[in-house]
Amino acid sequence: MPRIARTFIKTGLFYFLCALLLGLSIEFPVIHFPAMQPLFWHLLMLGWISQIIFGVSMWMFPGRTREEGFIAQKWAWITYFLLNSGLILRVIAEPMTSYSSQQVWKILLITSAVLQVIAVASYIIELWPRIQSKKQRRKNRRNKTKK
Amino acid sequence: MPAPSRWMIRCSLIYLLTGFLIGALMLISKVQPTFAWVWALLPIHIEILIFGWIIQFTMGTAYWIFPRFLEDKSRGNITLANNMVMILNSGIIINILTYLHFFSYRFTILGRSLEVLAVILFVILHWKRAVSYRG
Repeated sequence: MPRIARTFIKTGLFYFLCALLLGLSIEFPVIHFPAMQPLFWHLLMLGWISQIIFGVSMWMFPGRTREEGFIAQKWAWITYFLLNSGLILRVIAEPMTSYSSQQVWKILLITSAVLQVIAVASYIIELWPRIQSKKQRRKNRRNKTKK
Repeated sequence: MPAPSRWMIRCSLIYLLTGFLIGALMLISKVQPTFAWVWALLPIHIEILIFGWIIQFTMGTAYWIFPRFLEDKSRGNITLANNMVMILNSGIIINILTYLHFFSYRFTILGRSLEVLAVILFVILHWKRAVSYRG
């Protein structure tokens, strides 16, 4: 399994635990802060499920480069960093916008939204050309060996 | 990768981007009330990301990756698989159009029924492929 897939999957497992702990804490009125419900659902669906799908698809889909490193797998790593920085920014900024009217939290929340959309665009750039039939795959391999 | 899987995965990626764009606007609207209208799209955000992205991507990948039949190396009836793709996406689109008030709210019954039908076809196609050929 390539490093990028391992990183996605381990981060996903971490979010899975965080999401369930947050879900558990919702049951205790003593522990309360704004936006707990949307954060719970997004940690679960984006932090865990989507992240696992991203990691496994980058590993299993045909046409991946065997070379490790940021340059060789730039779109995958960009996806990872933007998705997770966007999600972490959201976890911090969304409750803070309810506590404070400072501009910085608003800017951070907007930044988190933009980062997550760019992350998904990078994931599509990485994966779209790898959705290939067997015929296309063979053709691509032949072209590569010719080069 | 077979054609039904390629179609399902490509559609799911389009839904993923669309769902994230709507979600991003909803997040921004929390601090920019000018975008408050986007909250009307919440059911579409959920429909697109649950059925269009997660479920469709998983179904498309499963159709590709499950063991093929030993006798003819096929993945089963290809017409059934193509119908599964079309029926699932018709269900999702009908639900989206209903949430956008193009149809009466009762049309979600049709949309959900089509999604159920697609899942029935998925079960039929994969039941016998959930096997091990090792002893």
